[in-house]
Amino acid sequence: MSETTQTADEAQQTRDGPATSASVTTTGETDEQIRESWTDYQFDGRAQIVTEDLNVYYGDDHALKNISMEIPEKSVTALIGPSGCGKSTFLRCLNRMNDRISAARIEGSVEVDGREIYQDGVNLVELRKRVGMVFQQPNPFPKSIRDNVSYGPRKHGDIRKGLLDRLLGRDESEKERELVEHALRQAAIWDEVEDRLDDNALGLSGGQQQRLCIARALATDPDVLLMDEPASALDPIATSKIEDLIHDLSEDYTVVIVTHNMQQAARISDQTAVFLTGGELVEYDRTDKIFENPESERVEDYISGKFG
Amino acid sequence: MTREQYQNRLEDLRADVLYMSELVGNRLSRALDALSQKDEAMAREVTDGDDVINRQYLELEGECVNLIARQQPVAGDLRFITASFKILTDLERIGDLATNLAAYALEADREIFSDVDTQQIGAATLAMLDAAMEAYEAGDVDLCWAVARRDDEVDEMCESASDAVVRGLITSGELIEGEIETKLPEVRRLLLTVRDLERVGDHAVNVAARTLYMVESNDELLE
Repeated sequence: MSETTQTADEAQQTRDGPATSASVTTTGETDEQIRESWTDYQFDGRAQIVTEDLNVYYGDDHALKNISMEIPEKSVTALIGPSGCGKSTFLRCLNRMNDRISAARIEGSVEVDGREIYQDGVNLVELRKRVGMVFQQPNPFPKSIRDNVSYGPRKHGDIRKGLLDRLLGRDESEKERELVEHALRQAAIWDEVEDRLDDNALGLSGGQQQRLCIARALATDPDVLLMDEPASALDPIATSKIEDLIHDLSEDYTVVIVTHNMQQAARISDQTAVFLTGGELVEYDRTDKIFENPESERVEDYISGKFG
Repeated sequence: MTREQYQNRLEDLRADVLYMSELVGNRLSRALDALSQKDEAMAREVTDGDDVINRQYLELEGECVNLIARQQPVAGDLRFITASFKILTDLERIGDLATNLAAYALEADREIFSDVDTQQIGAATLAMLDAAMEAYEAGDVDLCWAVARRDDEVDEMCESASDAVVRGLITSGELIEGEIETKLPEVRRLLLTVRDLERVGDHAVNVAARTLYMVESNDELLE
């Protein structure tokens, strides 16, 4: 076909391959159609979390667009993407943390273990006990290390302790001791704090505080751990400990982690979801696939550090 | 994948490369036996088994790519993975050469130029491969240089073997009609055997060169 008989569209298509692949517009931005197959991640085993057509609006801002994702249990799922892409918003939807934002409007469905969490009558305390959250900045309570871990179980009534319980003869100090040790061991910090459980948690290093916060989240025996940039405030050694820990935890828990650090996602996750600007999920697949041969050109550019 | 797991994966890669080298060395040794003993069954075993090596090669190459893509290795780890990546290719090629040698064993039916000792050359190249892999396993720099020196000897052995064949052909005088045709494939096979063994030596040197780079970031043997 000669150049003169081509339509503009055909000429574009000839240069860029199939119409569904990225085509560069005059502004230099890529205008790529997201294919459903790029986000239709197939895996063996059970899905712990299923979202369907999840949309989030902050006022007029459409922060998340039609996110349908199945997150397998007992594995690490990384959410990556540039600032403002909606990955943290998505994470917060998974235990209804966005409920606190009055301007936020959420549409669509999120199921945890087959149960819709956005329906009336869902017990939020119970939900957040099963779906724990660890934040970017370690935020231990200004209390003892022991109290930080046992706070949740006591609040939820899993252990009884205090003056009244002592008087009534149902003090469960031994149970508390076991629970605290178990959680601290799971969070790989027990060896560093076993001699000073009554010290104030704020005296720990940043990395230790973060592992303490993970222990605190584990103490309520959750199924899912959500982590929002859990290592970004830490040095490389503390980061490495957290990464080791996340891997070990994924044997028993479903971990969903938001990270700005693509290398971290590559190192620790089993599957990776890439959100790009505009609140869209562009690609979701095995981490091997995403980092070795992504389908989307925009994803390839993003993970290669080529922007614009 | 984590740092501890990552270290385990690096150790596994090292063990797998060593295991592949054992398989390859074993095949080379059997090909040489098949040549000397005219053992058709053994030769066929070698020619038929090359796909095992190829599969392992592709699998380990994939592991190297995956480690680079997901673990962002730097410094010594990066040199180890990239050196292993290249060494795998050399091992796979030695596997191919073993297949060639076994194929010659299948075709050859009589001994010519009995003074040309391909077994001796074969044993020398096999020893080079073993030494190169030992250097890789132990990070032994001296052994890397020793392998390179040994290759000069092997090259000389190969050269004098080829010379002996050519000299023999020239001095044997004119061959009678018909004899040329029957002798031609035999001579060609013998020369190819010598050439392939020489190449095995070259690949063993490559392994040593990559190992030297891996251990000391020294690329002198690569030149």
